[in-house]
Amino acid sequence: MDSFLTAFFSGTSQGAIYALVSLGLVLVWRGAGVVNFAQMGQAMFTTYIASQLIQNDYSYWSAFVIALVSGAILGAIVDLGLMRPLTSRKNSQLLNSQSMRTTIPVIASLGILGVLKAVAGILWAGEERGFPSPIAANALTIGDTTLAITGFDLFVIGVVFVTLVLTTIFFTRTGMGLAMRASALNPEVTRLSGIRVGSVRTLSWAISGTASSLAGLLVTPKTNLSPNTLDLLLIVGFTAAVVGGLNSLAGSVLGGFIVGYVIAFVNVYSAPENVFLAILVFLLLALFIRPQGILGSKEVRRV
Amino acid sequence: MSKVKTHKVIGARSTRLAIIFFIFILLLSMQFDPYNQYQLANISTLLIAVLSITLLTGASGQISLGQGAIMAVGGYSSALLVTKLGLSMWIAFVLAIFVSALFGLFLGLAAARLSGPYLAGTTLVMALAIPSVAIRFESLFGGDIGFTVDYGYPPNWLTNLIGEISIEEWSLYVALPFAALSLFAVLNLSNTRSGRTWRAVRDNEVAAALAGINIARTKVIAFVCASALAGLAGAIYGFRGLVGPSVYSTDLSLLLLTAAVIGGLRSIGGAIFGTFVIVFLPDVIERITKALALPETISNYLPALLIGFLLLLTVIFNPRGSAGALEHIRHARHSHKH
Amino acid sequence: MLIISNLVTEFASIKALNDISFQAKPGCITTVIGANGAGKSTLLRTISGLERPTSGSIKWFDEELTHKSVESIVRSGIAQVPEGHAVISQLSVAENIELGGLFRKRIARGDLAIATKEVYELFPILFERRREPAGSLSGGERQMLAISRALVSRPKLLLLDEPSLGLAPLISAQIISTVNELCKSTGLTVLLVEQNANTALAVADHGILLALGKVIANLPAKELIADSSLRAAYLGY
Ligand SMILES: Nc1ncnc2c1ncn2[C@@H]1O[C@H](COP(=O)(O)OP(=O)(O)OP(=O)(O)O)[C@@H](O)[C@H]1O
Ligand SMILES: [Mg+2]
Repeated sequence: MDSFLTAFFSGTSQGAIYALVSLGLVLVWRGAGVVNFAQMGQAMFTTYIASQLIQNDYSYWSAFVIALVSGAILGAIVDLGLMRPLTSRKNSQLLNSQSMRTTIPVIASLGILGVLKAVAGILWAGEERGFPSPIAANALTIGDTTLAITGFDLFVIGVVFVTLVLTTIFFTRTGMGLAMRASALNPEVTRLSGIRVGSVRTLSWAISGTASSLAGLLVTPKTNLSPNTLDLLLIVGFTAAVVGGLNSLAGSVLGGFIVGYVIAFVNVYSAPENVFLAILVFLLLALFIRPQGILGSKEVRRV
Repeated sequence: MSKVKTHKVIGARSTRLAIIFFIFILLLSMQFDPYNQYQLANISTLLIAVLSITLLTGASGQISLGQGAIMAVGGYSSALLVTKLGLSMWIAFVLAIFVSALFGLFLGLAAARLSGPYLAGTTLVMALAIPSVAIRFESLFGGDIGFTVDYGYPPNWLTNLIGEISIEEWSLYVALPFAALSLFAVLNLSNTRSGRTWRAVRDNEVAAALAGINIARTKVIAFVCASALAGLAGAIYGFRGLVGPSVYSTDLSLLLLTAAVIGGLRSIGGAIFGTFVIVFLPDVIERITKALALPETISNYLPALLIGFLLLLTVIFNPRGSAGALEHIRHARHSHKH
Repeated sequence: MLIISNLVTEFASIKALNDISFQAKPGCITTVIGANGAGKSTLLRTISGLERPTSGSIKWFDEELTHKSVESIVRSGIAQVPEGHAVISQLSVAENIELGGLFRKRIARGDLAIATKEVYELFPILFERRREPAGSLSGGERQMLAISRALVSRPKLLLLDEPSLGLAPLISAQIISTVNELCKSTGLTVLLVEQNANTALAVADHGILLALGKVIANLPAKELIADSSLRAAYLGY
């Protein structure tokens, strides 16, 4: 029972983080038709910025906010500086090829990932460093009984919960949210409604950058920070996104939690080194059984 | 009748090019010190893997970020065949081709249902899962470390023929014939009907389907061919000394992709050029950092930085790679003359 | 007044519009007819900025539209209802309508509510089904929705691409007469593309016959209806 609770709580708090990563991936996929493999590179970079600020005696919270803002800016830069010119290039023989239209952005995002990692390595040396959490990671106690959940886990769950609620309100209740959904579903009709689809697209990159930056801030107190730490998170987030449905925002969150539980239970009941194998098997199963994802719909899957 | 004829001509051309490559590398190796001979062996080996990407991504339009994982299949299977069953290295290499082709068949069946980024992500997960697999089945795969294998000694008839040869030369002589053969195979393949079918699927699946092409089958065949090549490369690569998770890392997968991209995804000459770049770039960088006395924090990350920039510059300015640039210049000259 | 002069739009190999000039008067319906592939859709798409013309110019009164982006063309009062019931089927009916007026939210919030009310009055069925996904509507209802989406932006020029496509004659006649009333009551300018000449020309003031990207006839609608030899030659009936 005890180990079950441990797995359940750690699955919930880790799953919350995976949900953020997968949400970030799905936002950009829906909004711009690109799976951004540089996403967690961007998050790593902004977490380093926060870490640097904290070292320079800024408070945790100001560093936190600055990191989120730089996540948004970095996302927007990637779109404006690279992805938009790449995909809007006319008369390119290569881009006339269907498969190349998806391949080129993938390669570009790998290039960004490489550059970000190298620059972070050069700026902040290669060795791992810790990253603080605002709340101690001690197991909570009620009276004499120790719970299987730490204060930090609760903090993570709370922050992600608030983020998800805000995101939901943004998408379902605001005009900008409607514009974002519409441009993902049908850019032409959206443009004909007078909405600047290009700007909306940049906004999805920015929001995705913020979400993944938040994921970076929440995960590094446990994993430490190095240029490579967040690589795994990208893969897990990708799996979560595929499981939930690459074109469904709600699905991406659901997928995040599912993968969180899978990993947590493998960790507790099997061995940590089996986690990757579990992810691979899980991903392949998902792809074979339901390639459009749990909440994804088939017809809108981009080819 | 005329079709048969063109095939013959194409066959002659690819034979010629493969032989030229073979002789060129041999002549080059004679000018080189042992270290650079070893690098030439690496080039020959990795070229096979880069060609597999040229075939898969350039010709059939499927992107794989996990060619390293398929190399691992070839590496582990050949190494196991030699160490556990005592087969000869050469037979093991050939069998490794079949094993990885079979693996590619399964992967291709999954991949045919996936497009673009799905495939990219899935192959990346696969590449990252290798250490996990190696540890999970430690008794078979030797866990985190892997196991050591090597090319052995050169056979007597060869040393009798050309005299004593160093380990470095021997590793080149093992890899080079395979590289030339792969080059020959890929050159031929891209000029045959199946090559054209692949390109049709790559450029427009709907149109290809309307033209009566079986999309799924085409994609799976491309995957099988590319996996056979990657597996062969992996087998030769492992026999340099070690078959283990560290050899077939994700970094290797991405490095191979980089080579194919900067050379030009659709060009075989580009694959050769790209392979030279990725193998010699670290040496060049090391020389530069020494000359400039750069601190270690920078020099450690300089190769990654340069490779990232090369990728970005290529997709931004010249998505067809250096091969495309060359063609562009040739065209410009040509039209200039007229 | 929409003024089109010497407009040429090319796709890789063909000239879909080949030197087209005509004018559409305000407060009137101008109907463009032509066989499949005549270039009707390309004409509308070029006006709304979805396709880039190779040469020629498009003017809306004094405003040059030729090189503007789709978004700014829409924002200057030109709304297009694209071919084939173009609504976003995963969004609800209400959201589709809201989308059409979204860009005016900041500049004319009050009027937006009125405009929304007006389109619901025009098509009451849409109000009944406002919470349902647009994908669940019938073809005719979807066309009404597509027109509503365009109307809430309070356009001055409405570009309608084959609104009767796939609809029962009764429904398409109803839609076209609704548009006609709107035109007469609000002074809206309409450029209506149709294959079925009869209903479309009946309400029109002016008719243009397009074939292979060229203007073959540019006549008052009544004369175009009457000219059976032209119709036989270019439309086959
Ligand atoms: N995106 C495009 N690329 C290439 N050619 C195109 C494109 N769009 C249209 N065309 C060509 O331009 C010509 C005119 O097409 P258009 O769609 O304007 O015809 P239409 O009059 O609307 O026909 P229909 O009544 O069938 O809708 C056709 O020959 C068509 O094949
Ligand atoms: Mg049309």
